[in-house]
Amino acid sequence: MPEAASMPGTSRPGTSRPGTPSPGAAAEASLRPVPAFGGLAASSPDGRLVVREREGLGLATVTARRGRGGDLAEVLRASRGLVLRPGPTVSRAGDLALVGTGPETWFAVGAGGGWRFSRALAATLAGLAAVADQSSGYGVLRLSGPAVRAVLAKGVPVDLHPSAFAAGDAAVTLAGHVGIVLWRAEDRADGEEAFDVAVFRSYAESFRHWLFASAAEFGLADGPAPGPGTAGAVSRPA
Amino acid sequence: MRDVQSHRLDAAGLVDRARPLGFRFDGRAYEGFLGDTLASALLANGVRLVGRSFKYHRPRGIVTAGPEEPNALVALREGARREPNSKATAVELFDGLSARSQNRWPSLAFDAGAVNGLLAPLLVAGFYYKTFKWPSGFWERVYEPAIRRAAGLGRSSGLPDPDSYEGAYAFCDLLVIGAGPAGLAAALAAGRAGARVILCEEDFALGGRLLCERDAVDGRPAAAWAARAVAELATLPGVTLMARTAVFGAYDGGTFGAVEKVSDHLAVPDPGRPRQRLWRIAARRSVLAAGAIERPLVFPGNDRPGVMMAAASRSYVNRFGVLPGRRVAVLTATDDGWRAAFDLAERGARIEAVIDPRPAGPPALEERARRLGARLLRGGRVAGTHGRLGLTGVTVAAAGGRTERLPVDLLVMSGGYNPNLALTTHLGARPAWSEEIAAFVPGGLPPGMSVAGAARGTLSLGAALREGHAAGREAAEACGLGGCAGEAPRADDEAAGLAASWPVAGARKAFVDFQHDVTVADVALAHREGFRSVELLKRYTTLGMATDQGKLSNLNGHALMAGLLGRPIPEVGTTAARAPTVPVAIGALAGHARGRHFKPTRLTAGHALAAERGATFVEAGQWLRPQWFAAPGEADWLATVTREVRAVREAVGICDVSTLGKIDVQGPDAGAFLDRVYVNGFSGLPVGRARYGVMLREDGFVLDDGTAARLAPDHFVVSTTTANAARVMKHLTYCAQVLWPEADVQLASVTEAWAQYAVAGPRARRLLEALLGAAADVSDAALPFMGAREFEWAGVPVRLFRLSFSGELAYEIAVPAAYGDALGRALLAAGAFLGVAPYGSEALGVLRIEKGHVAGNEISGTTTAGDLGLGRLMSRKKDFVGRALAGRPGLVDPDRLRLVGLRPLDPAGRLSGGAHLLAPGAAATTANDLGYVTSAAFSPSLGRWIALALLRRGPERIGEHLRAVDLLRGTDVPVEVCPPVFVDPEGVRLHA
Repeated sequence: MPEAASMPGTSRPGTSRPGTPSPGAAAEASLRPVPAFGGLAASSPDGRLVVREREGLGLATVTARRGRGGDLAEVLRASRGLVLRPGPTVSRAGDLALVGTGPETWFAVGAGGGWRFSRALAATLAGLAAVADQSSGYGVLRLSGPAVRAVLAKGVPVDLHPSAFAAGDAAVTLAGHVGIVLWRAEDRADGEEAFDVAVFRSYAESFRHWLFASAAEFGLADGPAPGPGTAGAVSRPA
Repeated sequence: MRDVQSHRLDAAGLVDRARPLGFRFDGRAYEGFLGDTLASALLANGVRLVGRSFKYHRPRGIVTAGPEEPNALVALREGARREPNSKATAVELFDGLSARSQNRWPSLAFDAGAVNGLLAPLLVAGFYYKTFKWPSGFWERVYEPAIRRAAGLGRSSGLPDPDSYEGAYAFCDLLVIGAGPAGLAAALAAGRAGARVILCEEDFALGGRLLCERDAVDGRPAAAWAARAVAELATLPGVTLMARTAVFGAYDGGTFGAVEKVSDHLAVPDPGRPRQRLWRIAARRSVLAAGAIERPLVFPGNDRPGVMMAAASRSYVNRFGVLPGRRVAVLTATDDGWRAAFDLAERGARIEAVIDPRPAGPPALEERARRLGARLLRGGRVAGTHGRLGLTGVTVAAAGGRTERLPVDLLVMSGGYNPNLALTTHLGARPAWSEEIAAFVPGGLPPGMSVAGAARGTLSLGAALREGHAAGREAAEACGLGGCAGEAPRADDEAAGLAASWPVAGARKAFVDFQHDVTVADVALAHREGFRSVELLKRYTTLGMATDQGKLSNLNGHALMAGLLGRPIPEVGTTAARAPTVPVAIGALAGHARGRHFKPTRLTAGHALAAERGATFVEAGQWLRPQWFAAPGEADWLATVTREVRAVREAVGICDVSTLGKIDVQGPDAGAFLDRVYVNGFSGLPVGRARYGVMLREDGFVLDDGTAARLAPDHFVVSTTTANAARVMKHLTYCAQVLWPEADVQLASVTEAWAQYAVAGPRARRLLEALLGAAADVSDAALPFMGAREFEWAGVPVRLFRLSFSGELAYEIAVPAAYGDALGRALLAAGAFLGVAPYGSEALGVLRIEKGHVAGNEISGTTTAGDLGLGRLMSRKKDFVGRALAGRPGLVDPDRLRLVGLRPLDPAGRLSGGAHLLAPGAAATTANDLGYVTSAAFSPSLGRWIALALLRRGPERIGEHLRAVDLLRGTDVPVEVCPPVFVDPEGVRLHA
């Protein structure tokens, strides 16, 4: 039997979280997560577009139980101080944001916590909402800078002009051929607009191609390797 | 050594004489200026002959100064960037530009193909259809290729396009189409009022006719006013100016298509910049201010180089500072056409004659022309033109019929104006006939659109400015914007009288459609032979089918047909104009979605690991899945797949099954909900257990199959096939939202959230024990077949299911997808001592065929649960989607095709998917068809080929001998019908 600590893909000794259960052969090891975009960070030379993967977020889909939307809002207000706004907008309080993605349905974003985030949220909302962990299901990129709207316009069929898409507005839409959840984040410290884009993990590579192709005219430099590539031969079905 | 610009004026025009640009035409070097088009630069250098016509290879010159040009088509650039059929009049000159004339051999001046002109009496309309009739098989192989070589326009490079294209979306309150006087006035009014305005102009310069005429606006020269207007627009925060952008189509919901030529004016696009950009513009309101196109006159020899539109001649003189001819005759049926005489004379041309077929006109014009020393031929006409490769003279006929030859090198013509109204008709409206301007004008309009200026048939400048201003102001008001639109710009309303001068039958070599060589005689022939509807006329003669889409020719052709029919033009009608109004490159439509990016590619979390292990990938919808993992020394894929199958049957294998759909179903009614969507029951499933289920479509056929596991009393996770993941999610969402809105059930797709591996084989449990240690008890007692467990291991949540698609002792283990790569590596490491092998979709397929499990080949949308041997699952105690229609007589007919297994009588025999089943001795006809092979594989476990098949009354035929006949592959294999489960029919292995 191999030594678990020598397994490829497991963290080196000393990096595992203290207090993590350490059963059996996997003792001393915790698995190393791979961010959906491989930790993408890139910028155009003049800073007109800055791209950064928001790693380690807690993500979950939240759907109210039938007829319990009001109770859910009340619990969020009481327990987290979050005032739930209706429609395709972002409701924020502290580290928690709920992005309206459909009737009585939200995409919940926690500033951290990964998969544990949904557990805590589910406990808060027990009996009021179905909570499904999506921390691994999406990669979230923060796009910002003076060119951000010009780049998004190359694939997103939504009017993102501030008069039509204000801070906190959200949309479930497309970027090129890839489905995304898009919301206007808080402006950068320098006043430049910022958007968050959540992309299903399996589409990260395709989205990345669209983004870099669309931002090429602004000189967006290729970031670090995007995690899993498309290496390997592809055969066609006979 | 470059030629001097022999026809360039010293001062006039908007070109930048301080910025000379070198270019080549047919290999010869010339010089032009910044602000030139290729056409204006050629004319500046005295080049009049620029191409050969499509059919007769007649010498052709520059007729217009805009994108409607029918003649001056060139191949632009060299090598992979060569672009045929570029209109020299719309090509912005750049330094180093290289263009070549088309459709000539060996040279433009001496073209062997011109012999076609001598054959013109034979090459009339319909010539191909009458001549190349026999033998019929020759059309595709001999005649058409030969005709295509002989006729035609440019040739594509045949090389991959090295440049990129992209799409983009834009939104505005008001889209203004065209930046001439009406468009600028509209944009100013709306922009000042605070509207978000997009102003699109096909030209590289904004101003339209203001750049080409010597009028005054608000007391300034027109071009200077245009420059000020553009400067003001640039300061308005809501206004976006888009030059080089042609709006080509109007679509539903106020959406327009436009193509922006981002880099066509450069030799090579700047780094990162596309060549062209396709815009989808959503506008609350639109103003069409696309102007009008001057109409040619049809007379003998009207296609000779040196015959030009009158308005175009003014463009060349006034905008480009080029004198297109030194001795000029003016043939005009409009007051407007006379202005060419004055503008050309002003810049030094000698006006030999003004020929106006109308018997009378404004005396002021005649007086002015007389002062130029021009001869006036009221009621006159042009009877012929002279000059082999360019105009040297015209024969004019006075009102009395007396003819005279005049030595001229330029003949300009003006037959009235056709409003550019195509965008008004794209949503179905038809144009209306205006007797006043003898042209079609916009009839109905798309919602939210108004039309201003010449596009509306308003042919005087002052009125165009007023209309534009009003349209812009009204659009802003309609969008709720109350800012001050300012005053309408002022200009005089010049004389704009005209009388239609339609072509009449009988004229020789009088061209109606320059680009397609359609003459008056061709239209007359179409009339004689019965092709009289304008739509038939178009197909028979190809009138209006060239790259200019009849912008110059259509109305003349239709008017000629109307005359032959003795009916009014509006009654004869006009052909429908459809989008796009200008040619749009396929590359622009594709944008970045080309090559392997034609559609998105989905990668699992284990992709990189699979690639490292030498996987060959196969497309499964958008997913890439490992198909097999070839090991060194393996001869072919069959050897690889056989090894992978044996590893699973004899040791243990792992397979990435993350692509299977996973749907999170929660809520108090989750169990009841699943009872209604699956044919079998789920509400009674204990927590910690999974069950196989089948879903039907409403019509009773099988939709999908898979397992659902109960994680908590109010929490299930449903798994679907890879192919149907989205379809099942949509179906369940529909059921929850529409069929049973009262049900308290919540759905979420969690396919992407979890990475999942199948761990299959007799050593699967030992592998999991080694991997998980004390984190989970995986003994048969703790986790029996169809058990499901959730626990934490190595710092992550794990879902472990004891499921088997292969028929072996097998599990599926899932972790959050971020940890999928690590899980795959950990499985391989932990199983190394057990001989673990990764296996791909091909081995997965073989394993399930050996086990008789149905998959996409069998769940094809045509099969019922009964057909697939799953009828016993269908509950009689409850209702479920598809139950009623599954009971239709046709769906329970015992004659239906039903699932069986097949094995060749000869153990070495090979089976193929798609082969049809026939009785021994029966002819291979549809009437004798008994069914077909759905899935075939070489079974490593049995050492022979096996197959699943759908066979008429299949289960009743077990033991019968049939033939599997594959007419595509030419095989005819005797087979025995057998039960579909080939391996471990008792299920001993999976319960191990």
